[in-house]
Amino acid sequence: MKKIILNISVLGMLAISLTGCEKYLDINQDPNRPTAPPINGLLAATTQQTALNFQRTGNTSSYYTQYLASPNASSPTDVYDRIDLSGSWQSLYDNLADVYDLEKMAVEQRSSEHLGVAKILRAINMSMVIAMFGDVPYEEAFAGVIYTPAYNTEEEIHGICITLLDEGIAELRKTTSSIRLGTTQDFIHGGNRTAWIRTAFAIKARLLNRLSKKSSYSAVAVLSAVDSAYTSNLQDASLRTFAVRNPWAAVARNNAALVLDGWISDNLVKAMNGTRTGVFDPRLRRFTDTTRFGDFRGTPNGRGRIGTGTTRDECYLTINNYYSADNAPLFIATFEEMKMIEAEAALRANNRTRAYTAYINGITAHMTKVGVSAADRNTYLTNASIAVGETNLSLATIFREKYIVMFLHPEAWVDARRFDFNYPGFTLPVGALLTEAIRRVDWPDSERQRNAANVPGLPPLTQRLWFDRP
Amino acid sequence: MKKMLRLILAGWLLFLTFSTLLAQNRNTVKGKVTNERGEVVPYASVTIKGSQGGVSADEGGIYTIDVPNRPGLRLIVSAIGYEDLEIAPGADAVLMPGSAISEVVVTAFGVKQKKKALGYATQELNNKELLESRQLNVVNALQGRVAGVQVNSTGGGPGQGARILIRGVKGLDPSANNQPLFVIDGIIMDNGTFTENAAASLRGMSNRAADINPDDIESLSILRGGAATALYGIGAANGVVLITTKSAKAGKMRVGFSSTFGIEEVNKFPEVQSTFTQGYYTESFTNPTTGQTLQGYNPASFWPAWGTTVDEARAVDPTHPDKLYHHYKQAYNSGNQTRNTITLNGGTESALLSSSLSYNHHNGVLPNTNFTSINARLGAQFRLNNKLRFNPTILYTNSGGTRYNADRFGESTSYWSPRWNVKDFQNPDGTMKVYGTNNNPIYGAHYNLFKDNVDRIIANANFVYDPTNWLNINYRFGMDNTNDTRRTTKPGPRGIAGEFVLSDGGLLGVSGALGSVGEYRINNRVLNSNLIITATKQWSNKFNTVFRVGNEIRDRKYSYLAAEGAELDIPDLLSLNNAKVRSNNQRLEEERSVSFYGDATFSWDNFLFLNATIRNDQVSNLPVGNNSFFYPSVSLSYVFSQHLKLPDWVTFGKFRASFSQIGIGAPSPYLTNTYYSNPFGQPIGGVIPWSRNNERGDPNLKPEFTQNREIGGELRFFNNRLGVDATYYQINSKDLIVPILVSTASGFNSVRTNAGEIQNRGWEISMNGAPIETKDFRWDIGINLTHNKNEVLKVSAQSNEIVVGSQFGYIGATVTQKYVVGMPVGGLYGTSYARFYGDKADDGVTLGRDLPWIIQGGTGAQRGYPQRDTRQRLLGNSQPRWIGGINNSFRYKNLSLGILFDFRTDYQKYNQLGNFMSAFGIADYTENRRETITFPGVLANGTANTQAVFLGQGLGPDGRNYGDGYYRIIHRSLSENFVEDADWFRLRTLNLSYAMPGKWFSKTKLIRDMTISVTGNNLWLSTPYSGYDPETSATPASSNADGFAGFSYPAVRSVFFNLNVNF
Repeated sequence: MKKIILNISVLGMLAISLTGCEKYLDINQDPNRPTAPPINGLLAATTQQTALNFQRTGNTSSYYTQYLASPNASSPTDVYDRIDLSGSWQSLYDNLADVYDLEKMAVEQRSSEHLGVAKILRAINMSMVIAMFGDVPYEEAFAGVIYTPAYNTEEEIHGICITLLDEGIAELRKTTSSIRLGTTQDFIHGGNRTAWIRTAFAIKARLLNRLSKKSSYSAVAVLSAVDSAYTSNLQDASLRTFAVRNPWAAVARNNAALVLDGWISDNLVKAMNGTRTGVFDPRLRRFTDTTRFGDFRGTPNGRGRIGTGTTRDECYLTINNYYSADNAPLFIATFEEMKMIEAEAALRANNRTRAYTAYINGITAHMTKVGVSAADRNTYLTNASIAVGETNLSLATIFREKYIVMFLHPEAWVDARRFDFNYPGFTLPVGALLTEAIRRVDWPDSERQRNAANVPGLPPLTQRLWFDRP
Repeated sequence: MKKMLRLILAGWLLFLTFSTLLAQNRNTVKGKVTNERGEVVPYASVTIKGSQGGVSADEGGIYTIDVPNRPGLRLIVSAIGYEDLEIAPGADAVLMPGSAISEVVVTAFGVKQKKKALGYATQELNNKELLESRQLNVVNALQGRVAGVQVNSTGGGPGQGARILIRGVKGLDPSANNQPLFVIDGIIMDNGTFTENAAASLRGMSNRAADINPDDIESLSILRGGAATALYGIGAANGVVLITTKSAKAGKMRVGFSSTFGIEEVNKFPEVQSTFTQGYYTESFTNPTTGQTLQGYNPASFWPAWGTTVDEARAVDPTHPDKLYHHYKQAYNSGNQTRNTITLNGGTESALLSSSLSYNHHNGVLPNTNFTSINARLGAQFRLNNKLRFNPTILYTNSGGTRYNADRFGESTSYWSPRWNVKDFQNPDGTMKVYGTNNNPIYGAHYNLFKDNVDRIIANANFVYDPTNWLNINYRFGMDNTNDTRRTTKPGPRGIAGEFVLSDGGLLGVSGALGSVGEYRINNRVLNSNLIITATKQWSNKFNTVFRVGNEIRDRKYSYLAAEGAELDIPDLLSLNNAKVRSNNQRLEEERSVSFYGDATFSWDNFLFLNATIRNDQVSNLPVGNNSFFYPSVSLSYVFSQHLKLPDWVTFGKFRASFSQIGIGAPSPYLTNTYYSNPFGQPIGGVIPWSRNNERGDPNLKPEFTQNREIGGELRFFNNRLGVDATYYQINSKDLIVPILVSTASGFNSVRTNAGEIQNRGWEISMNGAPIETKDFRWDIGINLTHNKNEVLKVSAQSNEIVVGSQFGYIGATVTQKYVVGMPVGGLYGTSYARFYGDKADDGVTLGRDLPWIIQGGTGAQRGYPQRDTRQRLLGNSQPRWIGGINNSFRYKNLSLGILFDFRTDYQKYNQLGNFMSAFGIADYTENRRETITFPGVLANGTANTQAVFLGQGLGPDGRNYGDGYYRIIHRSLSENFVEDADWFRLRTLNLSYAMPGKWFSKTKLIRDMTISVTGNNLWLSTPYSGYDPETSATPASSNADGFAGFSYPAVRSVFFNLNVNF
């Protein structure tokens, strides 16, 4: 009995004495998450996500460039319907927010290496954003201070990207950094400053070349950037370490498991199987597998597949292929792209010799990379429609061949728009909702809902972005 | 499981033996409690006058109590709804009907108070009312019965959660808990709905109050207003549901047995077209034998119903069935439920024991969904001496079942072509039977599995000490511990040639086709310590006071551990060891609070009552400096019928008024910082990538405050034959912590801060009457009506709106639910038919429904079609204007009939199913797809439209190519078509029961009473809504995004048969 009374009083006393104990209530720090990450942890997140963003955006643009086609008829992306890209938008801006933090932390910790990489990563991601959406938030974005950031023009941001690349190069040339790039945390270049500088020039070349419709276009500036970019495929900017696997391999594996995805467009097959050039492009064998008929058959965009999808009636990405193997590299910028940019710029500058050399070297490098045999490569390169010779080299030929080189890359849609989709045999998708090829995408629904005052509106998808206008 | 049952049973018997040993040498007396009409009054409370000890009578009205051998000893018999009565020990009690003067209700901290003394509205339901509908989930059992309360059953799934709202939404955070605090026997009980991963949020998880066996509840009080709940502090701003479990019944051991069996079916299906079959205008079919070709038809098509007519298809394809299936009706089964409960009560006055054991099993209408629960309860009351009592209670529940993703089921059923029998889902080798590439929904329900298994213990130790007759010390320590073990599995491909693998159930970004295993462990532990010291002082005949001071500590710990694996090596070895891709994740949350409170009640001459409370909370989840907060309440009750001379026909009259404030801590811990985490959930190449979280924390968070004002009154006439109770309230909630969804370009997805303000004002009216009352027949009618008007006053400095949720609709028809300043919560926004405003002003938000449509002119591909307005406009609201219930009960001798109607008016829901039924040509109205019509409306310049258009696909009769056709190009893209009125009026419950006359078994000496009853729920429903029952919800019970009802688990119509025997 007494014991019970004692117990009650003890419990009661306990209850009261606890209240004086501020410590008892001092438990509001999340035991699972940090408030300040290590700088190289941010480097890891931003390098990984930057590369993945090329796949995320490429997985939309590849339907516009008709590398891929939906296995379902009238798929909204195929037929130029309005689609909501809130997810891609958020992936890009989330990563840009981390890049912002990386940059801030780099300044605080006086790491010129991280600062340089942060600036370059910002330019790379922003260049993807503006190529899809045009005018977007920039000056007021990332920091999390302004919740409805105003939009900057595509023209402004394009200029800023060039500046960022120059600044990034300058930072990376410094040798006094307080902290080194983490070699395992830098998923793109393994902490190699020189490699980053080359990549900065490669992106700069790409951005300057975007201006081909503009009077401000300078072939000299493009060529100058190319000169400082890659000298071989070994220097490419790419991602080779994945959480699980290359995201295109995930597409291929899903498709193999009948979550139909990653189907090759009829347009790509016809561009490569000789229909349009008269010569079979051996890279097609590395892009996809043959059908059960032993040949290559694409799916016309908008038409949807033939058959049930359970038999190999048409071509799609598989894990046997160069770009969609489990450990396939995911490319940000490549040597062969530089060669094609060089070819274009040199031709525009009327330096035909340089243009033709770059053109052949670009195709050669790409073929070597994807694993085409020397014999097959030579057959292709000596065919009259490819080996056109210096004097006959045209922009159309360069664009046609660059289209193959840029397989699945989002920059291919920029090229297509610069070239006004004048690829031989390129047609609108079946059941196209537009009367010409698509020129932009809508600002995402999330912006229309949360930043309504600043979203410029709902222009037609045939509206040409700034780079796409003279 | 069997082992556990045996253990429980053994413990139970041991306990009974022990309690009997404790019995002292006293007399045991017994008697029967009836009312003035001779009907049994169950569960009356019988106490020894002048002492605190007491027992409850049983269901048959029999009380058994041990009394000391003392001359002149008297017993007090009291029951809800009846006058207290003093009797001699062993005498039978005949109670007189409940006058409002003496009605007793349970109030804060379990204090039983005379209802007339309360300055706020309260309502209590007894066991019989809770059991009438035979709902397993106690929240569902409240449907239609209480004013001021909105109950949304989220669907008819086994164990599926239900949502309860009292006096509207008071939090602006889309994830705020707007549901009331649940308190069981004085301790806090968690009613959360754990929706940890995306899969669980769509699987109709239980709200955890479902772990309480309704059979165990003696009474349930709903405390609605602030003054009623202020003593509970944090968490009580949304009201309190007070559950009192059955207490011990003294006397010889009593055994009760109740058995219920029920059957059910989907109560409402959408209407489908029956003319057009599978295919698409771009597709064709060639009969391999005859070589005949038909454009538009394809029996392997992805498109379930955009093909030719059935007759056209049958002419070419003789395998086509003569008519289409109603694939929605086809996909669901009929369900059933069984429930058996045994109760065992006994003991003496000094040691009483009450216990029950119950087993429930429910097979749902959606194939392969089920829920089983086992509830055990042990409650004891020990009187250690005259001054000290010890009342421990322990509730144990084991529950869980196979739950399916109703959203996915509804979606894949919509893709399934009605040309094919959806029930024919499996090949002999176990692979999925398909006609093309569409998953079979029923196969999914059998192989994409999710099972939960919950072990829950709610234990409560209560010490009561009465050192003197004016002082009472009451200490309670409670623990609510829930262990929820969940497992998801999906086998991989079997490698059989031509196999089509179900792709659902993917984890870690890998398609479910490759197989997956997920293991989840959730532990939620709530500790609650509560000390109350009560001093009662009678100063004079007229002036009484009661003072209370108390201390309360709450301590919540929640931990979550998930291990997921994908890509199984061996297809059917459903183990993490067999997964090639793996990831794991953990989360720990802790929250604590320490509070002091005081309460003073003054009463004057039994007609004037004044109550004041104060409380101070100190919480862990706010920053130091802002984490301690104080708030008061005051309430007044004036029973003027006891004070003033009123006409004879006025039996009772009371006026009440109250004012209160309640503080609320942060909705969850760790909101004061911005954190970083690894978005990949696993290291990459041995490296952890850290990424800034999408939500920004606020280091300056402060408490939210809710202010309540309430006035009301109660009148009863004609000797209680007619009564009216009305309440008007205004609730202002301020400094609400909101996550403002911001432009994702800003660097965050959302930002948390104190910003919002919201107001609820409303009326609660209840009326009851007994229109007919004769010796053998009685008709009682009760009506309750609730009107809540909600207004968002402020969201934040940056924004005038908060997105609470959104649900997909095709081509921009996605509907968004938002809180917008100046509007009530629950607004549904989406795309609409563009209207011609002419010279009328367009505010850009509301929809000019009366204005003509704008029809597209010119020469474009869409000429003649209505124009789309892609701006998100206000199309509806999910909060009803009026909620009500009409409860009739008829009694003729031993036969009683209860009829409960309930209704809801003026609210809307987004029918996502409707959006898909338009997109895939399934809806009945798409029958007109071969017609050519001229849409009424005007061109952009205001002139009338004259352009006729074909509604179908491809080439029209006019030679124009219509492409995908009107429904796919325009109709499905307009949210306006699918935000539908969801008003309803339904026969919620019909219950017929017959208490067999006692003389039938008096000879057996074994059975004391026996009742048989039959109950029907949802027998009739009237609603303009075109989908499943609009009461269902696509979101879980915990979600505030309650405007989405498309692919929900359908509601059911059920019939239960019950037998109840007491020995």
